Amino acid sequence: MRLFVKVALATGLALGASQASAQQAVKVGALYPFSGGLALLGDESFRGLEIAVEERNAAGGLNGKKIELVRGDAVDPNQAVGEARRLTSVEKVSAIFGTYSSSLAIAATQVAQLAGVPYFELGAISDPITERGLKYVFRTNPTSKDFANRMVDSVVEAVAPALNLDPKTLKIGIIHEDSLYGQTVSAFQQTRAKEKGLNLVETLPYSAKSVDLTPVILRLKSAGVDVVLQTSYQNDTVLFFRQMKDQGFKPKAVIGAGGGYSTRDTAQAVGNENIEGALNVDFPQYRTNPQAAPGIDEFVKKYQAKYGIAPRSGHSLTNYMGANVFLDAMAASKDLKADTIRESLLKVDVPLGKTATGWGVKFDEKGQNTRVSPFLMQWQGGELVTVFPPEAAVAKLKTGVGSN
Amino acid sequence: MDVLVQLILNGILLGSMYAIISVGLTLIFGIVRVVNFAHGEFLMVGMYAVYLLGTHLGLNPYVSIVPVVILLFVLGALVQRFIIQPLLGADEHIQIFATVGLSTALVNLALLVFGADLYSLTVPSARQAISVGGNTMLVGQIVMFICAVVLVAGLHFFMQTTALGRAIRATAQNRNAALLMGVRVDRVYVFTFGLGAACVGLASALLIPLYPVTPTIGTYFVLTAFVVVVLGGMRSIYGAFAGAMIIGIVDSLSGYYIAPDLKEVVYFAIFILILIFKPTGLFGFGRGTE
Amino acid sequence: MTAKAISSAATSQKRSSFLTQLANPRVYCALLALSLILIVPAVIDSPFVVHVFVTICVFAALSTAWNIVGGYAGQLSLGHTVFYGIGGYTTALLIQHFGISPWLGMWAGAALSALVGIGIGYPCFRLRGPFFSLATIAFLEVVRLLSIHFTGVTGGAAGLIVPLNLGWAWMIFEDKFNYLYIAFGLLLLTLIVSWAIRNSRLGFYLTAVREREDAALAAGVNNTNVKLKAVMISAALTSLVGSFHAMYMTFLEPATMFSLATSIEIAMFSLIGGLGTVVGPLLGTVLVVPIAELARGWLGASANGLHGFVYGTVLVIITLTLPGGLVGTFGNRVGGWIDRLPGGGRRDDGREAPAQRPITGEPVKPILEAKNLVMKFGGLTATDNVSVTLLRGEILGIIGPNGAGKTTLFSQISGFLQPTSGTVGIVGPDGSMTSPTSADEFARLGVGRTFQIVQPFGKLTVLENIMVGAFMRHPKVDDARAAALRVARLVGLDDIKDVEARNLPIGGLKRLEVARTLATEPSILLLDEVMAGQSQSDTQKMVNLVRTIRDTGVTVIAIEHNMQAIMSLSDRIVVIDSGRVIAQGNPQEVVKDRRVIEAYLGEDFVDAQGI
Repeated sequence: MRLFVKVALATGLALGASQASAQQAVKVGALYPFSGGLALLGDESFRGLEIAVEERNAAGGLNGKKIELVRGDAVDPNQAVGEARRLTSVEKVSAIFGTYSSSLAIAATQVAQLAGVPYFELGAISDPITERGLKYVFRTNPTSKDFANRMVDSVVEAVAPALNLDPKTLKIGIIHEDSLYGQTVSAFQQTRAKEKGLNLVETLPYSAKSVDLTPVILRLKSAGVDVVLQTSYQNDTVLFFRQMKDQGFKPKAVIGAGGGYSTRDTAQAVGNENIEGALNVDFPQYRTNPQAAPGIDEFVKKYQAKYGIAPRSGHSLTNYMGANVFLDAMAASKDLKADTIRESLLKVDVPLGKTATGWGVKFDEKGQNTRVSPFLMQWQGGELVTVFPPEAAVAKLKTGVGSN
Repeated sequence: MDVLVQLILNGILLGSMYAIISVGLTLIFGIVRVVNFAHGEFLMVGMYAVYLLGTHLGLNPYVSIVPVVILLFVLGALVQRFIIQPLLGADEHIQIFATVGLSTALVNLALLVFGADLYSLTVPSARQAISVGGNTMLVGQIVMFICAVVLVAGLHFFMQTTALGRAIRATAQNRNAALLMGVRVDRVYVFTFGLGAACVGLASALLIPLYPVTPTIGTYFVLTAFVVVVLGGMRSIYGAFAGAMIIGIVDSLSGYYIAPDLKEVVYFAIFILILIFKPTGLFGFGRGTE
Repeated sequence: MTAKAISSAATSQKRSSFLTQLANPRVYCALLALSLILIVPAVIDSPFVVHVFVTICVFAALSTAWNIVGGYAGQLSLGHTVFYGIGGYTTALLIQHFGISPWLGMWAGAALSALVGIGIGYPCFRLRGPFFSLATIAFLEVVRLLSIHFTGVTGGAAGLIVPLNLGWAWMIFEDKFNYLYIAFGLLLLTLIVSWAIRNSRLGFYLTAVREREDAALAAGVNNTNVKLKAVMISAALTSLVGSFHAMYMTFLEPATMFSLATSIEIAMFSLIGGLGTVVGPLLGTVLVVPIAELARGWLGASANGLHGFVYGTVLVIITLTLPGGLVGTFGNRVGGWIDRLPGGGRRDDGREAPAQRPITGEPVKPILEAKNLVMKFGGLTATDNVSVTLLRGEILGIIGPNGAGKTTLFSQISGFLQPTSGTVGIVGPDGSMTSPTSADEFARLGVGRTFQIVQPFGKLTVLENIMVGAFMRHPKVDDARAAALRVARLVGLDDIKDVEARNLPIGGLKRLEVARTLATEPSILLLDEVMAGQSQSDTQKMVNLVRTIRDTGVTVIAIEHNMQAIMSLSDRIVVIDSGRVIAQGNPQEVVKDRRVIEAYLGEDFVDAQGI
């Protein structure tokens, strides 16, 4: 029955949108979690793609053909498989863009690969997505390894110098929620910390549904941890900051891995004075130096014009940037066969600092963009501002966390 | 050693939070004999209500207790009257699924109305930390502990001295006998369900200063509440209180000494062992003793 | 027993009567409807439609497998994805570490799941209703959390990715239709197993245990054993489906594989379709999966959460309006229509009843010896040093005032109560004296008992009730039915044999109680007040019946308050008062005994009469 609905919707859209150019349209899939618990950021991610496609269509489309977006909604891996099947078979899309969530991406890419349709990942960070040797899977955004490395490296390159301390004297504590996101990021953090010869004293996983993080904080406190690396969602970030204050735990620095650290809700729940100074590694946000990220301001303007509000997170920007890279490559290939697109993607060569996110583009054989890394940001005066790398920074790194 | 004291203290304060939620569940589970999977969602509804009262009318959460307790009582009574009561004669499987459906509907209703964002109410007075011998407690937590004790004592007084309380106890012990004695069992159930939900109303006002509210906040507490109820012997309010304290302390200690991500494993394991080896609950309060 | 053994047993049973079964419209209609699952996607020819049908097959198979425990055995498991996840992870790990094909790995997973099923079921089956459900949830949570914690084994929350080796050997295909073949095959397998159980001794036993544990014990059913069988079969089938689904998704993570939401969902499909029926779970899935998808497709885009709200509300409405599920509400009507098709209707195959179990042994030798039975309940002594010897071939009457301890004595000599001290010895078929320890063992040794408070299996027909007893000596369904019919005629229930037991009046229930016990072909029959509530003529019939039974070599003990009946019936009388034997002997002597009259009528009466 769902089929009929979808077909009806799709034909309805097709009829309405492209009566004139029905023959010339290029269909691409947009596979995101539009419902369920991940819906908010799934939808935010989609908006970046939508703006990129509209921009392209306004400029004449893909080599004269209109691009038509076909949405696919998936909440769990089984639905991701189903929607990927539908997009590749019923809709016969030339490529699929997605996905925000890593488990959905993993399930959907397997399907797309078998169907011989290119899959362009714009937001999911799990490393295996581009490590399985799938020929038609490409990703523009950094992976969880990049996040972990940036977090650990920040300790050495940004935090320790600001504190005027030798990084090896700092005691590091890693805490993370125990779903896919927290587990993968923290595993890479541990490896990187070892490589850098840092003094890692605690690694504590916890459930994101915890109602009490006091035991975690007391463990960190008794171990005398100086720098906390946390990978977390919203609720547990709020809980951590509140209970850290209650228990009088005062680390020298706290670094988050996006997630709960990036949203305004968190700052409001914790209180601006308490989150002041917290560091955060994430996709570029909007308080980034436009010199290093050309096009970022234009994007924000377009977003506001279209949706009537400021972007809710950096996800739309990241998806916008990635979508442009892939659409350029599709425009550059002589046909839309998977192998041809792959060829032109491998030829893409954009230096650092020339895209709206400040990243460059160069894909390796596996399809992963190598000129990419998340930025280090800091909560300052209720704003999340970029502080590292220096060329993208708009503010100087401050030391200390919270008001105490 | 200092850490141990702080952990136990923390466990007791955590336990008093579980106690208030679980006492309500005990009433529903022990007397109406319905496994209420929507219990956590009652909490969520209560917390949103407190939040709205706080932001729109500027009510302090502790003042909101009165309207929210009444609201939740009515909600609980309505659920019993229109969803559970028609199913009392049916298979207990069916009642469980009715509450599951209710829970799904409520979570998604909240998602529909409020979105997935978190809302929090800043209550500086409740978040004030008090230090005793180097161990910290929050004012909000101490209030919670006092409320838990008062709630248990109040329910005890109510059950022992009022006619309605006696009718509830009679119904709990033997439904048919109570019917024969002229107790209007249906009304007792409606009242008890409402009372159980009202306890959650109290809990939601006390929780707001400590936790932000999201549509799924109820799922954080509901399984723990079931563990506490079984541990306490199903029908005993004191049992639930003691069980909550134990789970609070176990939660706190195992999070520190074993691993924070295994603390649920520890108390679920305790739960399974209790069910298997001591189905009357840890203190033998179960089965007819009130 | 593994699922494989069960299914092969099922198919061989099927083959024997395959052609006759095919002529039954219920069978050919079911097969026709099922074949639509293959035909519709083949006609539409779209991988997406294939996906939807694979999903329906997977969830219908999971729900059907769940129904064996949740429906037939009445144990509401809400942690069934434990087995689904174990199947998936075992298969995936065997591929990853040893390169073992999923076709082999899935059976390893099934075997492991069956073991885990026993591990969970054995301690938990003693739990009642909601407590069992909560325990299964707790097990699921523990397994999920451990699978997240031990990242070295399971890959943790990051999950496991199945390598994309194409071909039948690896169960991963470019042509999606192959997935549907396998999913359909699994659905068919679970349906056949479920159908075979429903129509076998195990199915009857499970229903009996679900409805009345004591009556099932009295019919020689080892309650724990049959429930464990059910959970093993169900776990193994669930696990097979899990293995396939993991190969289908090619990605496993604890949140999906050990999901509480999915556990609840598969139970719900059964509930909506009809709990404890063969087709219910499939119908529930076919109804709900499209509704859920429809809600998501239509409402999901318009507002976040709207479809979930509608879904939850529909669920509440369904439970309120269709508490019997689709099959329970419409089953009889639709079944009636189908039976009107060619070849329909119930056929009486007129099968001859199998030979009864022969009763051997010398008359007038002791067949049951109860020695010094003491039974204490807290401070109360219900039987105090009671010794009774039963001689083969006699009718022994037990009388005594209310509360004297007669039924307690019965419960001890039939194994329902373990005496505080004292022994019960039974002469077995081989002639030696044994002391069994559980009620079902007593029953299998030939001690049949009725219950003073009748214990019918309300949802079964009269004949099916009797069959539960008959299965003990005749494991085959047809034999049991024929034997049960013979008993029904003997007891005078044959004219109402197709009535559901819950609709019988008390007199009929009393006779059904006797019939079910007789069907176990006991050598010792314990009758607990079977004349109570009977009319004068029925009492006379019952007296004659008991005599007829005795004449077939059965030894009878009867508790009775109807003095006239018991005195005329019994060869010997034992009188019990306040837990003690106060007199025994032939009926004429006993009625004259002063202590007996005192016990019944009080000391004053005796004194006044000057006896």
